[in-house]
Parts: sequence; C-alpha cells; structure tokens
Amino acid sequence: MSIPPEPPRRRWRTGPYWLALQLVLSGSLLLLFLLPIYALFTYAPPQLIWADAGNPAVRAALWLTFFASGLAVLAAVVFAIPLGYLLARRSFRGRAVVESLVALPVVVPHLLVGVGLFFLLIPGSPLYRFTTALGFPVYDTIWGVVLVMVFVSAPYTVLAADLSFRAVDGRVLEAARSLGAGPATVFLTITFPLAMRGIVAGLLLTWARAVSEIGGILILAYTVYPGGPYNGPVTSTLSVLVYNLFQAGDLADAAAVSSVFLLIAFVLFFLVRLGERSGWVPWRRGELLP
Amino acid sequence: MSGWTVAGLESQVDGFRLGPIDLELSPGHAVAVLGSSGAGKTTLLRTLAGFIPARSGRIARDGVDLTDRPPEERRLGYVPQGLGLFPHRTVERNVTYPLELRGVTDALDRTRPLLERFRLTSVARRYPARLSGGELERTAIARALAAEPELILWDEPWQALDVDARFELGRVFEELRETAAVPVVVVTHDPALAFSVADSFLVLHGGKVGLRGDATTLLAHPSDAFTARFVGFDNVYDRETLDAGPPGSFTAWLRDRAGPEGVAFARPLLPSYGAPSGSWEGVVGSARPTPEGLALTVHVDALAVGLRMAPPVPVPLPSVRSRVRFDVEEMNLRPLGRPFAAPGAPP
Repeated sequence: MSIPPEPPRRRWRTGPYWLALQLVLSGSLLLLFLLPIYALFTYAPPQLIWADAGNPAVRAALWLTFFASGLAVLAAVVFAIPLGYLLARRSFRGRAVVESLVALPVVVPHLLVGVGLFFLLIPGSPLYRFTTALGFPVYDTIWGVVLVMVFVSAPYTVLAADLSFRAVDGRVLEAARSLGAGPATVFLTITFPLAMRGIVAGLLLTWARAVSEIGGILILAYTVYPGGPYNGPVTSTLSVLVYNLFQAGDLADAAAVSSVFLLIAFVLFFLVRLGERSGWVPWRRGELLP
Repeated sequence: MSGWTVAGLESQVDGFRLGPIDLELSPGHAVAVLGSSGAGKTTLLRTLAGFIPARSGRIARDGVDLTDRPPEERRLGYVPQGLGLFPHRTVERNVTYPLELRGVTDALDRTRPLLERFRLTSVARRYPARLSGGELERTAIARALAAEPELILWDEPWQALDVDARFELGRVFEELRETAAVPVVVVTHDPALAFSVADSFLVLHGGKVGLRGDATTLLAHPSDAFTARFVGFDNVYDRETLDAGPPGSFTAWLRDRAGPEGVAFARPLLPSYGAPSGSWEGVVGSARPTPEGLALTVHVDALAVGLRMAPPVPVPLPSVRSRVRFDVEEMNLRPLGRPFAAPGAPP
C-alpha cells in the first residue's frame, strides 16, 4: 500500500498589513540578537580577532571553559538524568519541595550562588577540608568552575529528562514487560531511547548555560590554578577573561576575544542543527541502543 | 498446550476492588470480558498480566503458581489499550523484540512468516506512526505471538477502527484461535465481534462477576440491563420506569412480568402494518429500514418500544404519529435482576 501524496495545504490569504506586522515584530527581536554581535565583530579589526585566537592566554581560557563545561554536561548525565527519571516515574511525599528545589538555580542570581558556595567551601571550612582530602579542592580550581556550572545548568537536564520520561506511554512499557523484558531491559531498550531526544536537547541547553556562566565563577574561581584534570597555565574562564580585559580598559581585546568565542559557539550550534536536519544524530532515528 | 486456572483472584487499584474472579482457560478457548466503563475489565486484564498485584487468590498455568511472578515471567501476549507499539522501532523490529530479548540472532528471519501471515511484509520497514489502524492492530498481535505466549490478553482491540478494519480483525482473530493453541482473554465493548470470536463471556459489574456463560446463556438469561443491551435486546426497561405505569397499561403488564431490575425483550414482529389485531396500541415515533426489515420505534404510555417488520420494507414508510397495534409474547420476556449460572458452567 502506498501513501497517497498529501493534498496541497490550503493557505489563508492574509493581508499585507498582517504580514508586515509579523515581519516588524519578529525582525525587531532578531535585530536585538544580531546588533550587539555586529558591534562586537566590527569594534575589533579582523587581524586582532585572528591574533587573539592564537594568543596562548586566550587559548588557555577557551580550553578551560570548554573542558569545564564538558565536565558539567557529564555531571548532568550522571546525576540529573536519574533525578529526572525519579520525578517522572515516582510519586513521593515532598515531591513539590524537590521540584521547587530543582527550579531554584534557574531563578537565583548566579552571583548569589557563588557567594553561597563560597561560604560553604571557604578555605578552612569542614567541607573544604573534606573535598580537598578527596582530591577535589574547589576554591580557585577547575572543580570550582565545574561546581558552579553544574549548579546553574543541571536543572535544564533534570527538567528535560522529567518531561521526556513522562511523555513515554506507560502502556508501551507494559507491553514490553509482558513480552519478557525485565525492568532494566525495558529502560535500556524502550524508555531511554524514547526519551533520549528530549534529554539530549536538555543537555544541549545545560551545556549552553554552563559555558556562558560568569556570576558564580567570579566568586568561587576567579582565577584558576592548575590542578586536577587541568594542568595548563594559571588562567580564568573566557567570560572572566573578557570581564578583566574590559575592566582594564582594553576594549579592543575584549571585543576580539568575545568574537572568537561567539564564532566557536555559533559554529557548534550550527553543526548540531545541521546534524538534526541530515538525520545522522542518533535520536532522530530513535535507535541508539540495540 | 497450556491451561490456566484463576481462582478467587482479587486486586485493588486506587480504592477500586476487583474480584473474586474464577476462570478456567483452556487452549484455544476465547473468553470475552464485558461490562460497562469502570466495571473492572482492564483491571482484570492487568491483574492477570501481573501489573497489579493480586491481594488474594491464585493464578496458575498447568498447575504452576504464577500469582507473584512479575509480568515478564508469565509468558503472555498482552496487547494493551492503544496497542503499546514501540514508536521508535519499525514494524519488523517491533515483532522481533521478544526474540531479541531471548538472544535470538536470526530474529528477522524467524519472524518473517509471522509478518507474512498478518500481511505486514510490505510495511515491515515502516514506523508505527505511518501505519493504518488495521496494520497497527496486526503488528501488535504479530508481536504478541512472536513471544510464543501461553495466554493472549487483548484489551479493546476494536477501539477506533473503521468498519473495514473491524471486519478484517475479526478474521485475524478467528485465524488466531484456530492456529494458536493458547487461551485468549479479550476485553471489548463490541457485541458483534465479541459474539463472533468468544466461546464464553464474563460480564463484570462493579468489579464482581455479574454473569458468565456462553452466548446461549447470555441470550436466555441476560440478568442485567447492561448484558441485555449488549447481547442485542433493544427493549430494556428498569424497575423505576415500569413502576410509573398506570394499572391496566402496557407498562403495568410488563411490570407484572419483570424481575427485580426490570425487563428486556427483543423487537416484537409486527405481522403487517395497520393490522387491527394486537393487545397494545402505540404511536409511531420513527421508522428506519434495515437489512432485516423495518425497525420501528413506537411510543406506548411513557415507553419507547422497538418493533420490527419483516422485509420487504413498505413504501412509503409508515408515517410518524400513525397508530399500530402489536403483541408481545410472554415467552420472549427476560426478567432482569436474577443472577443466573447455567447448568454445567464453571462456578
């Protein structure tokens, strides 16, 4: 049996004013997104952007930022997906409290997050000694950067996982059970593949939020010293670097470094979109696991 | 070959209590579970499948107690409401799923005959989102059979199917009963298909067994209004309606012959239109031609009574508000409200 071609969709005839209104409103927003970027790119001459992209200090900051945000995403995979699953599948007392707690990092100003973590992990505090003893000193290390990033960005994965797991039809899971699959097999072969697309979208948001974080990092890890998985020079995240350049009055370099970051971020997101279009990303077909 | 015994099965979901249910399921035997919405049909199926724990009673297959076993260890072909197909797997990968679980390497080859049998070969590579209602149903039953089940549980198979797909599914079902030597329990709202596929019936009422037996038993002793309507009695009146009839009226005559919950009867045959004979007189409310003749609705007292005339359908149709006289034979009346167990039926 062949699927008949879809009839041409009937389109409402809309007046030119309606179209103009749509263009003006959405165009205004797009301009707001575009103009600051344009300003950044034009402030610094291309040669300077190119030169800064090769600058070892900028490279160290870039590497630290992407590496730390990658670790934050990894932490979200390990900790946030299970929490999302718990919220989606179990009902328990105090659930509303947990849900509010998950939403909290999204609304709290991130400078406050940094201050809170600072008081918790101030050198000499019990938790500082504990984490240091474990090999995770957080004050002015990459672990501090990761900690802040996880705090502010993991909720996006928790929420996405919660929604995605919830959207999986329970009767589909029951059918799988009755066909002979144990709970773990059902999760691996049915639940997770069906929820994966939404979860990956959440991880993408988590990464975006982590990589753009500055508030909490300013307090907890303003300068990052080598140690742990990071063995480069003394540096800071890219956003802190730009902040420093700007504070020091080095506007051209601030603009140039920002441009480098923007270019990389834009290319990355463009590649992801392209991947979704072409269908090579596993969650498009929906079958990553055997 | 496997026989199942369900004895004194009880379960509870959110305050709704099911049972006790007793069932004897022999290979090739199909039981239709009937009942109005909320009667516990799906609860019974899910308890049998193991998704709802049994509070008491026993589920056994060939003498082996399965009551506390998880669903995956019961060897079921469970087709839930909405079919429960895996949206991220193609038709063939849906059907191979139970084989993959058992580590079968040539699952695709092994399931090819099943796809063929259910005419799914041409859509084998499609995802469920791109199938028609009938194809979805056939995929679900093929997948259930691929698990080589010892019991098939099917919840509302005919929901949301068009007339053609229903007819086709009835054929699939008959074929299934002939070839698969396992019992089938099917929950349904559809009388025509229930009668065409089921050997016996279980009517649930507020979680309890209201009535059981084969089609003959149900027709002879429908026992409650739901069953009476389900098996095709068009005239069903409850006690309250009958009690309102004045003495000497048709309603009062029915009341004297009704059971505690009322009375049911099939459409009485009207020998000819405008015949002067007949004990009761009514006013024609509507007339509708059917393959079996003319179906008339006639108002008598406060009742709407269905009558029928044998073909050919008279032209022109009897006019609305004209009067007809008719008789109801007492032997065709079914008093409602006395639970009936047919002789020889399982307890």
